[in-house]
Amino acid sequence: MAQSPRSIVTTESKPVRWLLTTLALLFIALFLALPLVSVFTEALRKGFDLYFEALKEPDAWSAIKLTLIAAAISVPLNLTFGVAAAWAIAKFDFKGKSVLVTLIDLPFSVSPVVAGLIYMLMFGAQGWLGPWLSDHNLKIVFAVPGIVLATVFVTFPFVARELIPLMEAQGSEEEQAALSLGASGWQTFWRVTLPNIKWGLLYGVILANARAMGEFGAVSVVSGHIRGETNTIPLHVEILYNEYNFVGAFACASILALLALVTLAVKSWVEWRTEQLAARDRANAVDG
Amino acid sequence: MSIEIRNIAKRFGNFTALDNINLEVKTGELLALLGPSGCGKTTLLRIIAGLETPDDGQILFHGEDTTEKHVRERNVGFVFQHYALFRHMTVFENVAFGLRVRPRNQRPSEEEIKKKVHDLLNLVQLDWLADRYPAQLSGGQRQRIALARALAVEPKVLLLDEPFGALDTKVRKELRRWLRRLHDEMHITSVFVTHDQEEALEVADRVVVMNKGKIEQLGSPTEVYDKPATPFVYQFLGDVNLFHSRVHEGWAQVGDTRFAAPESVGDKAMVYVRPHEIDLVREAGPGALQGTIQHIRLLGATVRLELDVADQDAVEVELTREQQQIGAWQVGESVYLQPREARVYIPEHRAATPTAEWSAGGGI
Repeated sequence: MAQSPRSIVTTESKPVRWLLTTLALLFIALFLALPLVSVFTEALRKGFDLYFEALKEPDAWSAIKLTLIAAAISVPLNLTFGVAAAWAIAKFDFKGKSVLVTLIDLPFSVSPVVAGLIYMLMFGAQGWLGPWLSDHNLKIVFAVPGIVLATVFVTFPFVARELIPLMEAQGSEEEQAALSLGASGWQTFWRVTLPNIKWGLLYGVILANARAMGEFGAVSVVSGHIRGETNTIPLHVEILYNEYNFVGAFACASILALLALVTLAVKSWVEWRTEQLAARDRANAVDG
Repeated sequence: MSIEIRNIAKRFGNFTALDNINLEVKTGELLALLGPSGCGKTTLLRIIAGLETPDDGQILFHGEDTTEKHVRERNVGFVFQHYALFRHMTVFENVAFGLRVRPRNQRPSEEEIKKKVHDLLNLVQLDWLADRYPAQLSGGQRQRIALARALAVEPKVLLLDEPFGALDTKVRKELRRWLRRLHDEMHITSVFVTHDQEEALEVADRVVVMNKGKIEQLGSPTEVYDKPATPFVYQFLGDVNLFHSRVHEGWAQVGDTRFAAPESVGDKAMVYVRPHEIDLVREAGPGALQGTIQHIRLLGATVRLELDVADQDAVEVELTREQQQIGAWQVGESVYLQPREARVYIPEHRAATPTAEWSAGGGI
């Protein structure tokens, strides 16, 4: 057998390698693959007809629509905010910059339930703005706006966090060059900054989207669980499950699982693509 | 186009980057801002470009105040030390950028852009690289593309920030000669920043030597080298030997040797002598210092000798290979040093009369 060029120092003996690999694979199978498979088997246990029936049911359909709406609003908002924040933090120096960075991280460090409660305290019937809102016939909690707000809050950091290190590493010399060549601020952003960050940006958006659709805690607090009105897919899954409607619960869960798989696939593709570009640069780089 | 710099000052926190700078760049000249790192030369260049705002003072382009003008309205070509090429664009698109971002009514047609870009790429002799990406170019090629990109907008002023700083010595020498030739053809008013005195002296029409946010001297390369206005300039432009001495009746005394010193009240003086302005002899003569040869080093065309002289720091002497062969100097030999040129500097006088403290020539 041909010897691989691996270093002897960093290689364990064969039984140890087998043991460790088997353990790792078992762990992955047990905790990651098996649950995923079980979601689909449970969902399809009584056949495809019932599966699609469960999805077509009006409450389920409304949950799917609401989830899509929440994601469709929060992801573009976070995209805009994330790019603006990363731009400000990476390319400029100003007072309170570290405070802003910490604030961006806040949704990561706060429990989602607490995030939901914050909105209850502010907009709920007993909250600070509650009386004013009810006087003006505006509904935020136990309605779609509350769900969107909670989703925006929990997905706040994804895009900014992804872009800040990238933009800091790139510096601002290209932007300065563009300005000195007569480009306006917008032209500089669209023609120079954005093309340089597009893969990082896409990655951040994918992560934000996955979280927006899967969020449970914060949304659960502000939703009020009104069937057919304020239930997102994760909330609907919980309700169905508590009612022993396993096919329905798993059918809806399978939508989320599918979404996760698609997200992973796109994410891997983005990573592969970024790696390819980097490799191309390295391969073509002439020294000097 | 001429550039006038009036009373420019810039501070970064407690650090004074520029302290009341006054300077005029003449139309069509190639001016070098020379100084050690941190002397403020790059800050001054960025203020001229409009990439940095001064705390005080004015910048005038052709007599017109441009201090408040945005960088994009100044019509300057700026070349960055690390090129700052747009990494996601081909060489062609990089050069075309300045033309493509013009307002629609001033934008040249696609045909004109194509012609202009290829003309510029031919000018920098890199037309064959038009479809490559910056990552695929060598450092020297990138810098030439950066120059072509800056020239595409037909700037009235060309500003170069350490343009050859990131390149290796051989490429650097080639490129700076090429830049000089290019300037001779185009006569565009240019300012370039460098910390390399050889580069400044070789390329520039005039050299501004800067130190600690101030201008030490402004003059032609010959002037600043032959008649340095301050000890800093003397030390910065080439190697130098420093002798500590005492002043007595108008003469600075170093051992048995004396140098004509300017009128002074103090009694301490510093005598500067360049390594190649010292002759070595075996016989004691008037005004010769005795020393012992410690090291002999061959540096290509020249030979460097290090000598021990009583009461002084180690003295360096530079000889040609020929002089070394004729003299056949040996390590450990006791010899006499005869400075041909020397400059005497009285520290106490520095602030009062900065030019008078230097005695020209070496009166021995």
